[in-house]
Amino acid sequence: MEGDVVLSVRDVTKRFGPVRAVDELSFTVRRGTITGLLGRNGAGKTTTLRMINGIFLPDSGVIELFGTTDAAAARDRIGYLPEERGLYRKMRVLEQLLFLAAIKGRRPADARPSAERWLQRFDLWDKRAGKLEELSKGNQQKVQLIGALLHDPEVVTLDEPTSGLDPVNVVLVRNILKELKAEGRTILLSTHMMAEAEKLVDEIVLIHQGRAVLTGELDDVRASFGKNSVHLTFEGDGAFLTGLPGVAQGRVETNVAELRLEAGADPQGVLAAAVARLRVSRFEVASPSLEEVFIDRVGAGAESGGLASAGEAAS
Amino acid sequence: MSKAFAVFRREYLEVVRKKSFIIMTLLFPFLMGGVMVIPAMLAMRGIESKRVVIVDGTGRLRQAFAEKQGGQPTDESPIADLGQNKAKKQPTSQVASALEIKTEYVAASGDPKAAAQPYLDRLKGNGTKGAQRVDGVLVIPSDAFDNSDAKLGYYSRAATDFITQERLGGMVNHAVSRGRLASRGIEPAEADRLLKRLRVEVVKVSKTGEEKKGGELSFLVGFVFAALLLVPNLIYGQEVMRGIVQEKTERVVEILISSMSSLQLLSGKVLGLAAVGLTQVAVWMTMGGLMAVYTGGAALMGGINLFQYFEVRVIPWFFVFYLLGYLIYVCIYAIGGAISNSEKEAQQFLGPLMMVAMIPWFLAMPIIQNPDSTLAVVLSLIPVFTPITMFMRVIVSEPPLWQLGLSIALAVGTIYVFFWMTAKIFRVGILSYGKRPSPVELWRWLKVA
Repeated sequence: MEGDVVLSVRDVTKRFGPVRAVDELSFTVRRGTITGLLGRNGAGKTTTLRMINGIFLPDSGVIELFGTTDAAAARDRIGYLPEERGLYRKMRVLEQLLFLAAIKGRRPADARPSAERWLQRFDLWDKRAGKLEELSKGNQQKVQLIGALLHDPEVVTLDEPTSGLDPVNVVLVRNILKELKAEGRTILLSTHMMAEAEKLVDEIVLIHQGRAVLTGELDDVRASFGKNSVHLTFEGDGAFLTGLPGVAQGRVETNVAELRLEAGADPQGVLAAAVARLRVSRFEVASPSLEEVFIDRVGAGAESGGLASAGEAAS
Repeated sequence: MSKAFAVFRREYLEVVRKKSFIIMTLLFPFLMGGVMVIPAMLAMRGIESKRVVIVDGTGRLRQAFAEKQGGQPTDESPIADLGQNKAKKQPTSQVASALEIKTEYVAASGDPKAAAQPYLDRLKGNGTKGAQRVDGVLVIPSDAFDNSDAKLGYYSRAATDFITQERLGGMVNHAVSRGRLASRGIEPAEADRLLKRLRVEVVKVSKTGEEKKGGELSFLVGFVFAALLLVPNLIYGQEVMRGIVQEKTERVVEILISSMSSLQLLSGKVLGLAAVGLTQVAVWMTMGGLMAVYTGGAALMGGINLFQYFEVRVIPWFFVFYLLGYLIYVCIYAIGGAISNSEKEAQQFLGPLMMVAMIPWFLAMPIIQNPDSTLAVVLSLIPVFTPITMFMRVIVSEPPLWQLGLSIALAVGTIYVFFWMTAKIFRVGILSYGKRPSPVELWRWLKVA
């Protein structure tokens, strides 16, 4: 049933020597949603996904998948796309896919039609008899993705699924993930590309230094930051914008700026000042972008504020 | 278990389909056969026969070199075909009788050394036009009958040619002894009877009361079969190690471990390569069998029965000890692969361990010569040495049943413990990239995993 908690991570800690890669991390994933596991490089995303897939055991804490903590029982119902390519270089593509299905408990004969369908969809049909090492990096990534999906998993965990793909393939993967969601599957994907996540995810789990610093539905999270962001597109030198009265902080790049206003400040004042010195082609008052939220919470200088739900962030 | 089977199938097909595997499997018997059979065939055809010139200072020994031929010596060149005659009379000393010696007799009363000179020159400058090839010159001093300290001189380019040396020396001694006896009035026929040496016939006694002749070939058979057991063990143990290191570097291991237990992964891998090894050995045995039937048949016509050295009862034992050996060694290789980051690193870790495992191989000589000695019994009861030692003992003798049973039970128990340990170390080690763990860390992994 949609909405049930299908995956629950509770107080999970994983140390590597003196480093706490994951530090008392807790979050839940509901069935039928796409959840984005967001964070900077080294935040603990990959370690978390590995623990969910039973590759590492947590030092402490509990991971419950499909209502059980027995990783072996859940193995065949979860799919995993690792961050780095994990395929036999010398093995032929189709044969390799059938092997990946077999170790997830599917008979090769049963998996074959589905594998062939995926190969056609990903434009790899002509390469099915070739060895993996003969494929480009992007095509290898696509093979790996098929491998993660071939056994019909209920939960799909993807570590940076679009890395190494060209824009056409990125769109293809995005559409496929939406289809999987429409079929009722649950997707947990890790990424550090916020623009990508913003187009896809329903919920976010933002982790920093191994801890969840922000969790909740994407829209709620953004709204909780208030509708007090000004998005500007302009021509001219906008460096002065961050110094305007009423602007708490902001980011100015070539011809675009996103400004956070102080509570009670009037956006119209900012507009007037901007128009006076720049040619403004777009002006919008909105919630901050996911990227802005990300930088605000985990950017340089941001201290981990401990676990914060969307509700807490609002206050 | 279907997951382990998927791994088994993948491992098996990957190796068996390799060109190098197919070539090695089909070519190896011919290479081995070539190494062993061709010299034997050359020897049988007499291509390797030796030409030795006998320079007799006494001038009285023509008979000794002529009569063996069974015909009349010719004056020109009394060539006695000793080798083949002997072979028919004494079929047990194959190695010696395969060598043919052709002798040329020269009577030289006076100074035999001077008479020998032209032949010695020919020996030095072998290949002089027109002159016949000479491989050795035997000089019998003129006082051979009277002086008990007289020495026979044998000149040869190969000082190690002890078989020829021994044989000719024996013949001259026999003739000289006869001569000495004759000078004391003993009839030649009587002298022959007195001088007759008694031969030793080796008879192997088995429990069934069956008697079999053994000999130097028994040793050879033991050695060849032990090699047939050991070599694929080492090759495929190494293959397991290489596969594990490769899966680590190619990061396939994450996918594997997220899909199955480490025990399933390990057993699929290990058994897959065991099957590869068995396939190879089965092909070799079939080809070897065919070759043996062919060459054995040829040897049989020459009066040598090769089949008396090989017993069919050895074959099931071969497979038993092959599997035991493989399963014991492969665990060591698997651990080596799991805790290393490159093949080279794994080799360094394994080198010393494998030397220990090879100990029975280095002790093959005493074990085969004395299969029921304390050394052999003790070694065969130490599980890591059991497969090779016990198998060699089984080939050359019949070890007591309790020893066979105990050694196999100990080996199976060891394999069980090794597998359990390996699966645990494997589980942790296979995911650790970076520094190789210390023994202390390994111990912690054992307890934690």
